[in-house]
Amino acid sequence: MAYAYLFKYIIIGDTGVGKSCLLLQFTDKRFQPVHDLTIGVEFGARMITIDGKQIKLQIWDTAGQESFRSITRSYYRGAAGALLVYDITRRDTFNHLTTWLEDARQHSNSNMVIMLIGNKSDLESRREVKKEEGEAFAREHGLIFMETSAKTASNVEEAFINTAKEIYEKIQEGVFDINNEANGIKIGPQHAATNATHAGSLFLRLAAQTGPLAHSLTLSSCPAET
Amino acid sequence: MNFLRGVMGGQSAGPQHTEAETIQKLCDRVASSTLLDDRRNAVRALKSLSKKYRLEVGIQAMEHLIHVLQTDRSDSEIIGYALDTLYNIISNDEEEEVEENSTRQSEDLGSQFTEIFIKQQENVTLLLSLLEEFDFHVRWPGVKLLTSLLKQLGPQVQQIILVSPMGVSRLMDLLADSREVIRNDGVLLLQALTRNNGAIQKIVAFENAFERLLDIITEEGNSDGGIVVEDCLILLQNLLKNNNSNQNFFKEGSYIQRMKPWFEVGDENSGWSAQKVTNLHLMLQLVRVLVSPNNPPGATSSCQKAMFQCGLLQQLCTILMATGVPADILTETINTVSEVIRGCQVNQDYFASVNAPSNPPRPAIVVLLMSMVNERQPFVLRCAVLYCFQCFLYKNQKGQGEIVSTLLPSTIDATGISVSAGQLLCGGLFSTDSLSNWCAAVALAHALQENATQKEQLLRVQLATSIGNPPVSLLQQCTNILSQGDKIDRRGSKIQTRVGLLMLLCTWLSNCPIAVTHFLHNSANVPFLTGQIAENLGEEEQLVQGLCALLLGISIYFNDNSLESYTKEKLKQLIEKRIGKENFIEKLGFISKHEFYSRASQKPQPNFPSPEYMIFDHEFTKLVKELEGVITKAIHKSSEEDKKEEEVKKTLEQHDSIVTHYKNMIREQDLQLEELKQQISTLKCQNEQLQTAVTQQVSQIQQHKDQYNLLKVQLGKDNQPQGSYNDGSQMNGIQPEEIGRLREEIEELKSNQELLQNQLAEKDSLIENLKSSQPSPGANEESSATDSARDSEQIADLKQELATLKSQLNSQSIEITKLQTEKQELLQKTEAFAKSVPEPEQSETVTAAKATDVEGRLSALLQETKELKNEIKALSEERTAIKEQLDASNSTIAILQNEKNKLEVDITDSKKNKTIFWCCWLIRIRKYFH
Repeated sequence: MAYAYLFKYIIIGDTGVGKSCLLLQFTDKRFQPVHDLTIGVEFGARMITIDGKQIKLQIWDTAGQESFRSITRSYYRGAAGALLVYDITRRDTFNHLTTWLEDARQHSNSNMVIMLIGNKSDLESRREVKKEEGEAFAREHGLIFMETSAKTASNVEEAFINTAKEIYEKIQEGVFDINNEANGIKIGPQHAATNATHAGSLFLRLAAQTGPLAHSLTLSSCPAET
Repeated sequence: MNFLRGVMGGQSAGPQHTEAETIQKLCDRVASSTLLDDRRNAVRALKSLSKKYRLEVGIQAMEHLIHVLQTDRSDSEIIGYALDTLYNIISNDEEEEVEENSTRQSEDLGSQFTEIFIKQQENVTLLLSLLEEFDFHVRWPGVKLLTSLLKQLGPQVQQIILVSPMGVSRLMDLLADSREVIRNDGVLLLQALTRNNGAIQKIVAFENAFERLLDIITEEGNSDGGIVVEDCLILLQNLLKNNNSNQNFFKEGSYIQRMKPWFEVGDENSGWSAQKVTNLHLMLQLVRVLVSPNNPPGATSSCQKAMFQCGLLQQLCTILMATGVPADILTETINTVSEVIRGCQVNQDYFASVNAPSNPPRPAIVVLLMSMVNERQPFVLRCAVLYCFQCFLYKNQKGQGEIVSTLLPSTIDATGISVSAGQLLCGGLFSTDSLSNWCAAVALAHALQENATQKEQLLRVQLATSIGNPPVSLLQQCTNILSQGDKIDRRGSKIQTRVGLLMLLCTWLSNCPIAVTHFLHNSANVPFLTGQIAENLGEEEQLVQGLCALLLGISIYFNDNSLESYTKEKLKQLIEKRIGKENFIEKLGFISKHEFYSRASQKPQPNFPSPEYMIFDHEFTKLVKELEGVITKAIHKSSEEDKKEEEVKKTLEQHDSIVTHYKNMIREQDLQLEELKQQISTLKCQNEQLQTAVTQQVSQIQQHKDQYNLLKVQLGKDNQPQGSYNDGSQMNGIQPEEIGRLREEIEELKSNQELLQNQLAEKDSLIENLKSSQPSPGANEESSATDSARDSEQIADLKQELATLKSQLNSQSIEITKLQTEKQELLQKTEAFAKSVPEPEQSETVTAAKATDVEGRLSALLQETKELKNEIKALSEERTAIKEQLDASNSTIAILQNEKNKLEVDITDSKKNKTIFWCCWLIRIRKYFH
């Protein structure tokens, strides 16, 4: 399918906080109650729409276990967005955020958008981390924040889409170098094509101004466009 | 290390001894020289020696070379030499210098030195950091050295690279290097890096490897490209093979679409270079990796769909039908098409519609089958066609039906111009080429796989063997060939023909009691089978014996006892008598114990190294697995047990029928229940709606009732003659009170007015009295006439004032009467309204309408009352003003009276002394009035 942009995401955070479930809920719209330990990294993809543009999200769901940490590090550099997930019913997962964030900041490109996610918001009775604490942490470190539930799908769409919106805005502001794929952003074939027609119309305008010489230029540029 | 020392010791005895010393000296120079030039020269010298004296240089210099890498990073030249030297020591690639007998030795050397090098993990990370150096003299040997290390001890080096941050990412950057040598060697490095390591494969894919590699392949001209394309394809295969996550990523990234141009090779007979053949071969294999039957079913089917949608399958079919394609490529293309269509209905349907560009056009399937039964075609190609046919029929009932139908009497083309698939299969089945027999039998078996309908349909097939003889059924012909097998002179292995036919019969008869009956109907078949099984034949025949046992077992297991002479019971007795149960089971076991059996059971593709290996079909091995156990069980059962079982079965069947009866009943009842439930729910819904409507209406009625009651009460009050008109507006809570209050006020005003009028009348009379009294003294006293005239003037003034007051009072009273009439009107209106309020029993709509009417009137009343109130307020103000005036006039009147009294006294006095005091009094009066 044609898309305007392609964003690469990674999902990070302690083991068992629901990273794979978030991905599954987002890509397949279902919930898997059994914890199936992720080995290394798993891949998922989905198309979303922002500002009327099709955006393809390619998401790499990483293993939370310490033993896979070094593998996870390899994914920071090429990602445009990261979902940093903790479990609101387990304070230790919240306490580890600083380590995760340091790791991410150290290995990623500086423009990577990080969304902090307090998952399992459906388990209100077992809550150990207040929403305010998550908000405070996010504010302190300049992250976007949301509480989600991969089980009930609450805020899951929003988490992925809001991250994409942030990246999209950064692109509009010109913060990201979209021609460098190492940033985790790629312009879609469709979009590249519209860019080409823009160039073409520029040529045409030029032709109108400068006469026959430029006109021949336009003619020669036409096959290149098609 | 002992080994190394041993080798070194052996060599150092010779003339190389001096070389060893030289190397030692060079090492010392590298280690101790303070001059960079000196060190650089020493390393260069070591490099030149490193190929010839690999062992010596390796042992003595490695440590120093690593030290150079650590400390002399600023000088790319010395780093380059050091890396080259290390590469020469570690790599096994260049072995020109090594004597023939030491090839294995050198391999050991490479891995030994690699082990020493990577023992310190930092050495690998150091090497990784050196690769960041852009200088060609550093990067290139660095790439080669790392590749070499990976080739020697892949897993260990991979692990070190994996845990070093950004290790893999850095290596990925090599693909972007503008210098082709480095980029190409980078591909080789990544090949070694990704071999058998899923985690690294995923990271490499994450780092846009697919995009880069596909770009390189396109740049290099796809299949026309050189060895770089080949290397890229091998790397792609490394990344995708058995890596579901990467396959998913590849599909999601729409990279399948980019494979299509690879196969646009056209019809041109020119240029099938060896490289192009290799490239295409790898490209085809890459397609197969994505749709391999071993992948998760969902993954494979989504790739298959994508391949159809982007036209890749169509492109492959073009190659299939093109001329001049090398057999090797053609075979692999057939295999690829097979796996692209396997189990995917859309793709299978498309494949069935493909026509060969012949005249007249023939279906591709027919053309392929022609190759399969053509003994001049290469063996691998024939296998590929069989695979393609199998894949076409896999889970494709429609396709199976179409193939079988070409054999049925009604559809056979009598003219014989066009050849059908069925004719080709029959031809293959009965040809003199055993390979064709086997392939055709297996192909036909696949048309019957898990398809009871086609098994029965195939029983209808009749064959005309020779002119004059009656037609024979296909089933009969198969058994005939089996029993006469030895008499016909065939090319190839005789076993192959019999195995093929037996597999076909087993597949045909399993799960099809009618076919079993047909088979048993020929009285020659059972004796043939028992004879085969019972005979004590050599090892060669064991497999055929096993298959015969399986066929007999199937004839028992799927026997519906419809033939009196061959019931289950009788067949079992036959086995007992002729073969013996144990012997039978043992023979049955020969099948799965055969050496080729497990090989065939591994994957669906018929892939045999040579024609002799062509014995088992994959699907057939599944059937054997399924049936071996149940047949063994069935044979072991005694007749009594069998009878019992039969009885049990019958009762079970009865129970079953009862159960099914009840099940049906329950189902019906369930349906009814469901319907009723739905009805109830709709009724409930309606009920609720109605109830809410009722409560609403009840409350409305209550309201109307209340209103009615109120109005009734009002009416009752109004009907009383003395009833106050204010009651008419009792419906409004505030109005009656206000009106009452107003009434009281008016009442009060009235009484006040009356009082005032009385007072006025009194005053009038008083003044009248005074008037009448004054002229008399005035007449009596002519002298005081002028004075009294003045007095009367003043009194006239007062009178005037009183008159105005009176008129004011009159107007007030008029206003009051006006008010009264207005109130009267109000009363009438309310009365009218009260009358107009109908009985509550009357229809509610009317009541509602009237209620609104009443409400309007009430608001009008309210308005009027308000106006009245205002008027009353104005009136009361006026009244107070009048009162004040009255008070003022009263006081003057009182004073005047006082004066009058005094005057009277004076007058009586003056009567006594008329002249004396008159003046004085006059003066006094004047004084007062001034």
